[in-house]
Amino acid sequence: MKFFRLMLKNIRRNLIGSIVIVLGTMVLVPVVIFVWSILAFLDAATAEKSKDFKGIVTERWRLPSQMPFAYAASLSEGAASKPGDIKPEDSMTWQFYGGTLDPEKRTRENSMFAIATEPRKLRTMMDELDTLPPEEAARLDEAIQKMEQNRQGIIMGQDRLAAVNKRVGERIKLYGINYRDIDLELEIVGTFPESRYDNTAAIHRDYLLAALDAYERQTGQPHPLADKTLNLVWLRVPDSEAFAKVAGQILASPNYTSPAVKFETAASGIASFLDAYRDLIWGMRWLLAPALLFTLALVISNAISISVRERQKELAVLKVLGFRPWQIMALVLGEASLVGVLAGLCSAGATFATVNFVFGGFKFPIAFFGAFYIPADAIVWGVGVGLLTALLGSVMPAWNAGRIRVSEVFAKVA
Amino acid sequence: MRCAAVRLIRQPDGRRDPVTEQRWIVRIHGVHRYFKRGSERLDVLNDLTLNVPEGEFLGLMGPSGSGKTTLLNLIAGLDKPSEGQVWVGEELISSMSESQLARWRTRHVGFIFQFYHLMPVLTAYENVELPLLLLPLSARQRREQVMTALDLVGLSDRVRHRPGQLSGGQQQRVGIARAIVTDPTLIVADEPTGDLDARSADEILNLLDELRRSQHKTILLVTHDPRAAQRADRILHLEKGQLVEQRQAEGTPP
Repeated sequence: MKFFRLMLKNIRRNLIGSIVIVLGTMVLVPVVIFVWSILAFLDAATAEKSKDFKGIVTERWRLPSQMPFAYAASLSEGAASKPGDIKPEDSMTWQFYGGTLDPEKRTRENSMFAIATEPRKLRTMMDELDTLPPEEAARLDEAIQKMEQNRQGIIMGQDRLAAVNKRVGERIKLYGINYRDIDLELEIVGTFPESRYDNTAAIHRDYLLAALDAYERQTGQPHPLADKTLNLVWLRVPDSEAFAKVAGQILASPNYTSPAVKFETAASGIASFLDAYRDLIWGMRWLLAPALLFTLALVISNAISISVRERQKELAVLKVLGFRPWQIMALVLGEASLVGVLAGLCSAGATFATVNFVFGGFKFPIAFFGAFYIPADAIVWGVGVGLLTALLGSVMPAWNAGRIRVSEVFAKVA
Repeated sequence: MRCAAVRLIRQPDGRRDPVTEQRWIVRIHGVHRYFKRGSERLDVLNDLTLNVPEGEFLGLMGPSGSGKTTLLNLIAGLDKPSEGQVWVGEELISSMSESQLARWRTRHVGFIFQFYHLMPVLTAYENVELPLLLLPLSARQRREQVMTALDLVGLSDRVRHRPGQLSGGQQQRVGIARAIVTDPTLIVADEPTGDLDARSADEILNLLDELRRSQHKTILLVTHDPRAAQRADRILHLEKGQLVEQRQAEGTPP
């Protein structure tokens, strides 16, 4: 405690150095937190659960998966056909529809990615939408109800709605991109709460199927993709035992041979999707984050080195008074660590509050994740980053401070 | 001043002046100090022998580069001789490690600098308290010793002042309080009046004199100022690393 007061006083003595450390930490800690938030989220998304987990049925040999819609009903039942077979607790089918508001001049802003599905499953099967606060849940339920009653309804992510400059209640016409000549006239019945679905939309699968039927009626032949519309089937199972059983049922079924299907955990499925981003994620984890930490440590090292040089006489006086080299090292390390920890804490706290509560997450589209939130753990990361970089940055200056030779310092003074 | 940190030094008979029966506080025997710069050797102290009895006020004079500060650093345990032995009290400090010397300095040496070298962000009280932080004392014991030391130098009303708020003479008094707060065996002062006007210099010298008389401190004073040296019991002249003259200060009985 008696040395702690001395450290605090020395921080004030070394005001410019302390400010440099604070500024460096305040700038770089948020970037590290952004990177780690993305990585932590992706790690969590690809981590296997032991209970209440979801699995994905996809085509076995082709990516993107394009299964016939005829698979949907029986796959949703987990291919249960015999007594003793078990059924999933819940299920959901996904058909991807990409469309644009302006087929003549397609841009990122006027294009849209929608999941055609069973509306009522949005609340029970989609991550984050099953754990909404009551107010947001009620608003989404109301939109889902409207979509159940009006199959031309569309629920849009808030960013996508803003990008196409439309409001709830307005009508839009989407011209098919992947489903050529399948154009959909839709009414915006609601929005997703702020979440990872900010850039996504959901439409009623019956409307997409009806549009494909209409195409066949009008042209006299089925749409080229008519037999390949089912992209994913989500199944929820209670535990790994049930998962294995359902997987066995699906693999043993003669109904899914052309094309063949596979059933994997959601974590494994998401990991497959993220495989395309493997280099980017590797770079973020092993190049960007360490480079940021290294840069911060260099900034701190520079600031502390200047401070140690400026305070050589004072440190030499401490030695004369009887401070041992390790005590002087500890003083310098302690000062830097104290500033680093406080700056890291403030920076991480401010990042957490600003990103989550002011901006509603930060946008970084990767795979089908659009926005990320800063986890509460980031405050601990901030403290850790501040402490670690301050320690790394001050090791050499502290070592030099401990090795100051009194006779040389005072010889220079004289 | 009573001090919890003070240690009694038991002297064997051989460490007393056989004639006056005085106790030697400093005994330097056959000390050489040289520095190597590449292949060149720079001799600063040559075969120096010196005994300083307890309670003596010793003045060290000599031109720049004569080795005064080097000798002071050896006696204060800030440097080690290239050859020879340095004893302070019972301790052979020339054979101690850097850590041992640091611990020894806290308890046995008070150092007064020409330019005070106070910590600018610390108050007078905190500056004086610094060496006590290294001793196993309670906050109350530290406060008592700091206040006693500041009282002795006449600055008990300036405890909360920072160095920048004090005059040069007052800053040097704080420096002296910091040097005596651990009740050291030896006080070494390297040109303590070199940065002061004549009046402040006199006050500081009076204070050192008073400390020697009332506290029985042994004081080693390096100075260029003959007036300062006159206060010493004995003056040693160093030239080119050797004691070339040794005489009693004026007015001091032989």
